[in-house]
Amino acid sequence: MRSLELTPTGSPLEATSAGAEARKLEVAGVSKVFRSRRNETVALDGVDLHVDDGELVCLLGSSGCGKSTLLSIVGGLETATGGAVFIDGDRVVGPGADRGMVFQGYSLFPWLSVARNIQFGLEVVNWPKARRAERVRELLAIMGLGEFADALPKELSGGMRQRVAIARALAPEPDILLLDEPFGALDAVTKRVMQDFLLSVWKRTGTTILMVTHDVEEALYLSSRIYLMAARPGRIAEEIVVPFDGSRGPTIMRDPRFLDLRAELSDLLVG
Amino acid sequence: MTRPVTDAAPPNTTRPGSSGSFGEVAGSDADMALDPSSIDTNRTDPEPAGPALDQPAADPAVLVGSEPAVAVPATGATRGRYQRPLFRIRGDIGPAWRLGLGVAGVAAIFVVWILMSMGDGANNAIIPTPAATIRALGDLWSDGTLQADLAASMQRIAIGYAISVAVGIVVGIGIGTFASVESFLEPQFGFLRYVPATALTPLFLLWFGIGESPKIWLIVVGTVFFNILMVADVARAVPRELLNASYTLGAGRGTILRRVVLPHSVPGIIDVARINLAAAWSMLVVAELLAAKSGLAFEIVRAQRFRAVDVMFALLIVFGVIGIVSDVFLRWIRNVISPWARP
Repeated sequence: MRSLELTPTGSPLEATSAGAEARKLEVAGVSKVFRSRRNETVALDGVDLHVDDGELVCLLGSSGCGKSTLLSIVGGLETATGGAVFIDGDRVVGPGADRGMVFQGYSLFPWLSVARNIQFGLEVVNWPKARRAERVRELLAIMGLGEFADALPKELSGGMRQRVAIARALAPEPDILLLDEPFGALDAVTKRVMQDFLLSVWKRTGTTILMVTHDVEEALYLSSRIYLMAARPGRIAEEIVVPFDGSRGPTIMRDPRFLDLRAELSDLLVG
Repeated sequence: MTRPVTDAAPPNTTRPGSSGSFGEVAGSDADMALDPSSIDTNRTDPEPAGPALDQPAADPAVLVGSEPAVAVPATGATRGRYQRPLFRIRGDIGPAWRLGLGVAGVAAIFVVWILMSMGDGANNAIIPTPAATIRALGDLWSDGTLQADLAASMQRIAIGYAISVAVGIVVGIGIGTFASVESFLEPQFGFLRYVPATALTPLFLLWFGIGESPKIWLIVVGTVFFNILMVADVARAVPRELLNASYTLGAGRGTILRRVVLPHSVPGIIDVARINLAAAWSMLVVAELLAAKSGLAFEIVRAQRFRAVDVMFALLIVFGVIGIVSDVFLRWIRNVISPWARP
């Protein structure tokens, strides 16, 4: 269901091009069924969602609701049993550098330095040599990792490793960044620092981001829209527009609307 | 309320440490009164400690805040199971003990050896003295036999084991990476692994004669299946997230094999090669015992004909030294090549 609705006021051509430009990611009727000898598990049942250009959207759900499976399908690491995923109108058939991914665990190459980790994607897709170094320097600066360029991942803290992973995913300038519970393994303080950091990176780079989380507060704090997922079968239960768009920052956590939404979403999550 | 609280609550119950161990917040009268274990301990105290009695306020909250650091009256009893430093499970014993015990262990071997080799000449024909063994080693060296045998044996190992490791890396990574290759090859290798390679020796002698090739083939066949299956395990240990991360960075299959699976497997492969090297030497010995005109094991057989146990002992020591040296060397190589995997 690719929605290219024509507004009656505009000309058809304008409306079409505007709609196509705004939709970065479109997930249309995606289903995933895991079949084993004994039974069939419906992990995802007809999921529809979209992320517009420059948006930061969260997929919120408790464990087992299929949110990570959905992100893997968008990333092309798993194939959907039904439905399709489109990036800028192109159908996704496998993984590619246009969809950078960050995982919860330590997915850095342990034998490569921080700079070489960030550069990996650029080497793989054959960026011009001169621009590679420049891009790595730029990302090291954005991530505040300049002095750790030559360090090995094992010498870094958990938060720093995730910063490297985000930098590595951003390096080839992907159309969309897919984050799979990236801060799930971090302690509370580091997590907050990293959330603020992600917001600043998002504001600076304008990258479109789809993030999976089970943390209500995190979803409200970071995203402009939230898709709340329900389990068995995995589906979108609710779409929530988060109201604090322009003024995202620590202050919104004390906003009564934030607290109301947090309570409401927590209730919905518990079911 | 003043009296009972000071009586029933000597310092140890009001100290943050002891109340914290019950997972409660100290400072309410109810806590004090309801905590039976604290009252029990108090009974054994002859007298509540002085300073606690001097507290002007009986409110436990105040006691907690202003109590001076006073030792808990000793009961003489102990809590917990004492752990002996030398026999703590997985405990660290410190470098001095490590070195000392190592030296003592080696010394013990020599003591046993010397004791067993002592006595009359008849005994000496069974177990040579350390001195005789060293003398024999010196003789083997000075007449050039040892060098020639070392060269012959090491050449066989070098050729045979290099083939074995090379095949092990290629096939092992194939099995560990692709389910298709695994399905096609693993049953045969699982079977062949349990066929003792030494049992193939007569067959190899028949096929390849008595030159160098049957010996090299025996080393290859005797180790290659272990190398393949163990390298496959190493390749399987590459975290899926690393592969997924590579895919989403735009890497293809070949790139991932070359730039992710292989580098991640290098330290593991070196460890596999190090462990199976011992099996390669065993294969070599079998080959040389049966049909050879040179080599360390051949020299042992020849010494047996002259009942020269000192020479036989000397050659066994050579085997041991080669083993230790190659082990240490390969560990060092592993740490140099893959410093990221250093423990």
